[in-house]
Amino acid sequence: MSTAADLIMAFGGLIAVLAGVGLLKFNTAYARFHAAGKASPVAFVIAAIGSGFHLGWEGATYLLIASVAMVLTLPIGVHLMFRAVHRTTTSDHLSVDELASAEGQAPS
Amino acid sequence: MITAFALACFAIAGICGAYRLLVGPGLADRIVALDVTLISLMGAITVDAARRETTVNLIMLVVLAIIGFTATVSASRFLEHERPEEVPST
Repeated sequence: MSTAADLIMAFGGLIAVLAGVGLLKFNTAYARFHAAGKASPVAFVIAAIGSGFHLGWEGATYLLIASVAMVLTLPIGVHLMFRAVHRTTTSDHLSVDELASAEGQAPS
Repeated sequence: MITAFALACFAIAGICGAYRLLVGPGLADRIVALDVTLISLMGAITVDAARRETTVNLIMLVVLAIIGFTATVSASRFLEHERPEEVPST
């Protein structure tokens, strides 16, 4: 039982390494934000599941509150970072940018 | 043993985030790298709490999740409304 929980926590750690490596390897800012913003909360939630097996009901309640708070709030923050990067920089690796033409017509 | 491997994995992710914080070409990369470092720290706190079978430090996770989100949102608002003539040359 505790070995299975340890393996779940190690799997969460591996997904966090994927997030870190994705932050290093990609060339464009959009790809880096995708890797970091998607893999990090998943890694934390899986590690929290594995740790909740060890800790009993009180610890599992704390971890559940932290996981729900993170999953609800972190994608909003990363989406705002995407929007800020899109509005302040021009990217020459995109051939068609439909969002830029739509944003030019609507007041920001 | 396996939990030590999990701690090492979160440490590697934190080091990758710190590298992007130092090297990142632009402010937005640095903000997201801070977020990744913060989440890897939260993961390391979780694994450490499971190793020592104590729930003393878990209240920090709730606080860090909210604070990390607030920092990212306010930094993105500053990034959008940066006026070019007032930014000092780096």
